[in-house]
Amino acid sequence: MKENYIEIENLTKTYKIGEESFNALSGINLQIKQGEFVVILGPSGAGKSTLLNILGGMDSATSGKIIVGGEEITSYNDKELTKYRASSVGFIFQFYNILPSLTVLENVNLIKDVTKTVKDAPEAIKKVGLEKHMNKFPSELSGGEQQRVSIARAIMKNPKILLCDEPTGALDSKTGAEILKILKKEADEDTTVIIVTHNSLIADVADRVIRIKNGKVESNVLNEKPKKIDEVSW
Amino acid sequence: MLKQKMKRDIKNNLSQFITIFLMVAIGIMAYSGIEAYMDGMTETAKVFYEENNLQDMNVYGINFTENDLEKIKSIKNVKNAERKSSINATTDNDNTLLLNIIETNEISKFYVIDGEGFSNKDGVWLDNFYAIENNIKVGDTIKVNNDTKKVLGLINVPDHLYDTKDESELFPNRKTFGFAYVNKMDNVSYNYIMVDLEDTSKYNETKEEIEDSLSNVLAVIDIKDTASYKTYQGEIDEGKTYVGVFSGLFLLIALLSTLTTMTRVVQNQRTQIGTLKALGFSNKQILMHYIGYGFYISLIGAIAGLLLGYFFIGNVFINLEMSFFEVPNGKPLMNSVSYLVAALTVLAIIIVTIISVKNILKETPASCLQKKAPTQKSKNIKIKNDKISFSTRWNLRDVLRNKTRTILGIIGITCSAMLIVCALGMLNSMNYFIDLQFNKLYNFDYKLSLKNNLTEEELNSLKEKYGSATSKTYGIEIKGLDDNNLFVTDASDKVRFVDKKDKYMTLTNNEGIYITNKLGINENLKVGDTITWRLYGTDKYYTSTIVGMNKDPQNQNVTITREYLESLGIKYSPDTIYTNKTPEDDANIELSASVEELKKGMDNMLNTMKTMLVLIIGIAIILGTIIIYNIGILSLTEKTYQFATLKVLGFKDKQIRKIFIKQNSWIAIISIILGLPLGYALTSYLFKVAIEEHYDFGAHINIISYIIAAIGTYLITYIVSNILSKKIEKIDMVTSLKGNE
Repeated sequence: MKENYIEIENLTKTYKIGEESFNALSGINLQIKQGEFVVILGPSGAGKSTLLNILGGMDSATSGKIIVGGEEITSYNDKELTKYRASSVGFIFQFYNILPSLTVLENVNLIKDVTKTVKDAPEAIKKVGLEKHMNKFPSELSGGEQQRVSIARAIMKNPKILLCDEPTGALDSKTGAEILKILKKEADEDTTVIIVTHNSLIADVADRVIRIKNGKVESNVLNEKPKKIDEVSW
Repeated sequence: MLKQKMKRDIKNNLSQFITIFLMVAIGIMAYSGIEAYMDGMTETAKVFYEENNLQDMNVYGINFTENDLEKIKSIKNVKNAERKSSINATTDNDNTLLLNIIETNEISKFYVIDGEGFSNKDGVWLDNFYAIENNIKVGDTIKVNNDTKKVLGLINVPDHLYDTKDESELFPNRKTFGFAYVNKMDNVSYNYIMVDLEDTSKYNETKEEIEDSLSNVLAVIDIKDTASYKTYQGEIDEGKTYVGVFSGLFLLIALLSTLTTMTRVVQNQRTQIGTLKALGFSNKQILMHYIGYGFYISLIGAIAGLLLGYFFIGNVFINLEMSFFEVPNGKPLMNSVSYLVAALTVLAIIIVTIISVKNILKETPASCLQKKAPTQKSKNIKIKNDKISFSTRWNLRDVLRNKTRTILGIIGITCSAMLIVCALGMLNSMNYFIDLQFNKLYNFDYKLSLKNNLTEEELNSLKEKYGSATSKTYGIEIKGLDDNNLFVTDASDKVRFVDKKDKYMTLTNNEGIYITNKLGINENLKVGDTITWRLYGTDKYYTSTIVGMNKDPQNQNVTITREYLESLGIKYSPDTIYTNKTPEDDANIELSASVEELKKGMDNMLNTMKTMLVLIIGIAIILGTIIIYNIGILSLTEKTYQFATLKVLGFKDKQIRKIFIKQNSWIAIISIILGLPLGYALTSYLFKVAIEEHYDFGAHINIISYIIAAIGTYLITYIVSNILSKKIEKIDMVTSLKGNE
């Protein structure tokens, strides 16, 4: 039995808009093991993305703790958070966020500027099946291809955790499945993969399915027999 | 890799970066160029004065002997002194030469352009400009007062930078008047001693000593009060006001515009900054990356600006000046302030970039990646009137939501319109002045300066020939005021006068003195006040009541009628006759000046001014164009998504272009409304502050100039917007909409 790699204790996040405050997260408790393929489900505004952002060191918590690999990241200062993002976390966004003025290869190679322990860029690109598009600009690629660039960029740094915010949200079903396959493969290689989505069909392929509603964990279920990706369609 | 990103980002947003480059370059070019020109003027003269030993004072008097010279030389503070005789001489082709006879040439040394330096040889050294105009070469012979002289050298002399034949000539005419030097002449009566002082701070003591030790001194004149020195210095002082106004304005517009553009460039990179942060780039790395955007471009712009400023603006202006002032080796001088301004401009851009980037970096990476939260400025303005067209509503909201951009645009275009009005207005005003002076006030064709000490008979015979309109000008001392001139008129309507509204007035009061308007304002004198004065060379003081004020555009002096002069017991012996008859050669006429010739001289000056004004208008137009282009590009970049949406909705390209052009047209119209009166204000200010003390003329701008400025400004805006709006046709609906997500 693997140990818990990520432990979240009583995590809250409150946003203030003008005079009013609003709780995006109101006491989240979770444990996630290394190499798990986790899907976090929930309707829009449930707090999924906020949780993912705090977990990735992109946003701060109002209270509570997150411990990743034995380190309490919620106590990190800005510099430590930057280092954490640079070395431990790979992000995949719904709208890819790759830099439009750099080619595929350059976008992936960009990671060399933030961390030393990197994969070979062409190798990462090959892994996502874009070796033929190495020198193309993002504008010359389809949505699915752009998302693959973003995955190649994320796995380039050998992250401990891959955080994916609606990675298939902007893609058609076939392309989405391909993206999921790549992510699943990463989980099989012992990277913890956490996917945030409102698409419950994806849940069938996950090791663990967490449902969030109104900033709270509604359910946290281990999937005894995850389906193969080809078996699901949406 | 980030370097690669920067290069590509710059390439992809080339027009914005070219704008920044041009703005910085033109702003600094205008600033440093005008500075380099002004400093070049000062430095060029300074070097010439020092190296060729300009005297500190001129002692003016009658028949100075060698003994007188020795007496002055023996005064402690006197380093050196030389005698000089200055007289007017005529040449074979009826030109006039200011002929100087000197014995040595240690003071106001010749700068030899061609030929040889001063020696005991028999011959003449000639004014280089005069020689060029009259095509005279070294070795040629010319006739000076019937003596044939060989030209030994063509020269510049530090106390002859600028000579006019006569004070009514505003501008030298080098074709008909020049200076010449010889080393001997029969029956010389030396009327000047040029004095070089050890310590100029003891000027007054030395002046008194000289006046005490010699009896034949008429006046001791500080070199700084001589026409040549004063005119050159006046040009510098005048220029300095323009420097402040024009170069400051240019720089301000350029800087404002650059800074906004840079802020926008950074703001448009918000998501990318968020991405870089999310990937683990440190704030420092991100900051350095974005500083690079503005830094390299503005650095290149600043260097280009400095180079263009020196080699283009500086040289053009200096060369113009050097075609009027006879100073050798005129060149612009780049001073350290210009380098500092250039460095500060680059620094300002860096600081603005840092502030803009830091504002984004303050946020968490998560929030950078989100769309910017709506702020106050995005509040939609409710427009209730349904009759207002969609494009008007759209633009109204867009303008109000982007206030900074709009205000910047208005400031920029207003300045451009203002500069165009001012440049044209200065020309109008000068023309108005020429018309006033030479057509309204001068009601004669020729002004004849008479020889001193004419007998009654000689005078009467001249009057018979040329009419009896005469005048006499005395140098006077007015108690409590600077030295002045007393103009005594007996010229009936040949010499006319105007009041401060430029309406004709006649001097009919024979019981007092008239002063000019500006003198009255400057010295706080008004009708009814009294002044006490004496004629130079006499000791008797007169107290006169001010009985009227007239406006004189050129000289601020006092005027009385012949009757009043005679009532004071002073004999009227005219020194000038005004006539419409073409003068013949006459031994009793020292000089004759035709109004046509004076006007020609003025035209020359106007031509110089025109060149400068064309440059100013040119820069104003370029700046205006860039600003319109700049705000256009900014709004296009930011509105691509909205325009793409309009396209999707079925709007035709033409309709969208119209919407786009409309906004810039509004900005142009508002700017024109503001710019025209401001242009008048600027012109008035320049005429009030920049022109020399003795001039009195204000701004007179023709309606046509306003119309040209208005139409010109509008047209530029329209054309630039129209060209820019072509880009709307190229907006690809799909990519633009996808890109906005």
